[in-house]
Amino acid sequence: MTARFSLILLLALASAACATVLGLRRTSGAHPFEHRAHSLKGINCVECHRGVGVADNTSPLHIPSDADCRRCHAKPHDERACGGCHGESYVREGVELAREHLRFEHRKHMAATRGDCVRCHIEVTQRDAQSILPKMASCFGCHEHQDQWGLRDCDRCHVALADEGTMPDDHLVHDSDFVREHGVRAASARDLCASCHSERSCAACHGGDTVPALPASLAFDEPRLAGLHRAGFRSRHAEEARADPGLCVTCHSETSCLDCHAAQGVAAGPAARSPHPPGWITSGPGGGEHGVQARIDPVSCAGCHGGAGEQLCVGCHRVGGPGGNPHPNGFSSRKDKFHDVPCRSCHGVGP
Amino acid sequence: MAVLGAASATRLAHADPLRLRADAFAQAQPDTQSAAGLIVLQGHDRVTPWIDAEGLVWSGAKPNATADVLVLTVRVREPHGYGEVRAGRFVVATGAILPVPIDGAEAIGRTRWGATVEAFGGVPVVPRFGARAYDWIAGGRVAQSVASRATLGVSYVQRREDGEVANDEVGADLAVAPVAWFDLAARGAYNLTYPGVSDALASAAGRWGAWRVELFASQRSPSRLLPATSLFSVLGDFPSQMLGSTMRWKAAPRLDLLASGAAQSVGARLGGNGWARGSLRLDDRGAGTLGLEIRRQDVDQARWTGVRAVLSLPLGRGFRYSSEVEVVVPDQPNGRGAAWPWGLVALSWRSRTGWEVASGFEASSTPQHRYETDALVRISRALELP
Repeated sequence: MTARFSLILLLALASAACATVLGLRRTSGAHPFEHRAHSLKGINCVECHRGVGVADNTSPLHIPSDADCRRCHAKPHDERACGGCHGESYVREGVELAREHLRFEHRKHMAATRGDCVRCHIEVTQRDAQSILPKMASCFGCHEHQDQWGLRDCDRCHVALADEGTMPDDHLVHDSDFVREHGVRAASARDLCASCHSERSCAACHGGDTVPALPASLAFDEPRLAGLHRAGFRSRHAEEARADPGLCVTCHSETSCLDCHAAQGVAAGPAARSPHPPGWITSGPGGGEHGVQARIDPVSCAGCHGGAGEQLCVGCHRVGGPGGNPHPNGFSSRKDKFHDVPCRSCHGVGP
Repeated sequence: MAVLGAASATRLAHADPLRLRADAFAQAQPDTQSAAGLIVLQGHDRVTPWIDAEGLVWSGAKPNATADVLVLTVRVREPHGYGEVRAGRFVVATGAILPVPIDGAEAIGRTRWGATVEAFGGVPVVPRFGARAYDWIAGGRVAQSVASRATLGVSYVQRREDGEVANDEVGADLAVAPVAWFDLAARGAYNLTYPGVSDALASAAGRWGAWRVELFASQRSPSRLLPATSLFSVLGDFPSQMLGSTMRWKAAPRLDLLASGAAQSVGARLGGNGWARGSLRLDDRGAGTLGLEIRRQDVDQARWTGVRAVLSLPLGRGFRYSSEVEVVVPDQPNGRGAAWPWGLVALSWRSRTGWEVASGFEASSTPQHRYETDALVRISRALELP
């Protein structure tokens, strides 16, 4: 009996702990403001949010002060500031951010909605709604913005969108594995991406050989950031490249590996050690594993042997040379094999 | 050892017209005695909504003093969005055209009925304004949107190196969002020099409450992604293909669970990869995070299993502690070590006035070195001028 009771008690405590950790139960002092309770009491929004009915784009925020609360709550249960517990500070910071980055006038909207705040602030009716800021989809309920969307004309409402640094939570959601996904998602809407992301967002990774350090290196204290090159990428980069041939060259130039490999002594050169296993090149048909791997991932070969290093290949694979024909069956090219680069390296008729 | 520090500072953005940011970053690698220093200066000027300029330059000290420009652009926009022109150094990428940094110009024209025309031209960027010999790139894209629900585009790009054709491609892209809970995007590029598909991607995603499920597929032909002037571009078509799915479940207000799995074909050799990740926010705001990820790669010669854990913890008064640990175990070490552990601890401080200081210590055992340590420092300062 005692054991069963202990087990039940333990499970209850564990459940309570899990509920707290997972955010299912609140424990902190601050909690979402009780908008719903006030609404159910029939208190009009403007009784607390005084002045909102005439607020324009530059008016001060209409967050109620302690004095506003005490007009009704004459005997508050606590002498501390009301906002310390009722409403969360980060929600108010969000409101301040919205004020800086939105062109919006309550004055006009109050007239259009005849003072019905809930028509936009629908979250007021929900218990424990953390923020009552309307989502952008709510705007579309009345405003036809298709033209502005198509013309990327966001500046009518949004101020310096690229600098706001806020991810939308109701449209264009950057979710799950977005680093992988973004290439295909951005293809049809590069200029839409640019309405929030400044040029340096793209250049930080896609800047080719002019990138001084990848975001993963510069933001070493932000482990929550997503990225291909996080953590011990340097250790596993060879495995990553082998697993997805050609992926690296979608951002890096084919010779961008060379600088680092040369510094590590793993590159083409008289004093360098070869990274290739024994039997990499053999005589006879196929020429060993190098022929297979070069076809699967020619980008890796070009990383060290590109440019002048191609002469190493030409030494064997020239026309009439011992390396044989490197082209597969059915190979086709629009290049002139006697005059164009790289064909003339092997097929050229000489000077 | 040692290095200097440097900078940072991000604070809440403000809509001031001129923004400046300076970052100084330094790291020390005792094994190589090669201190690295880096200063990054960013400026963003938005005098009016229709014109803005952006620059990002840096200088470094590894291995020798050097400097370069990453971004330097001016963009002029028709006030209603019917067109825009930008010029300078920037990354051009649109439709099926892969990102290329260029020194050049780009113009976009839009119509009220959803048509878009883009054209660009310039010189592919050579680091530190290096020598160029008859290199240029030009291309464009034409697209049509239908009721904000679908967009279809066709693109073309030609790039020359030393006067020779290095890339000659046509492409198509498609984005469809017929209903609020589903969208699909795809793009594909066709190489005209070595006829065939060089790169194709597709992604379809559906969202239902706390769930999101994505199906994705890709095909990539590495030899066609290389410049056509590379000798390695003539080895023929041995594409790699991938077909997989990613799922996200917001299991609790503070807990996100994600998993992904894909089957792969690399040069006709079959394999796959997969990962699972859990992310627990330690408070309602998400200021603190605990994350765990496990990953498996099993294709061709790339076979390994990895585990990664992250912790980010606010300490109050602007201080934050973070740590990150990863262990990768290759199936075939081949003398590169049985496991490749990596770890980093960092402490950062952010002021309300735009200053930020971060320092960290990194240690690892890599395929190249039995052990490796590094100290990192970053100091940043952000300014906003009226």
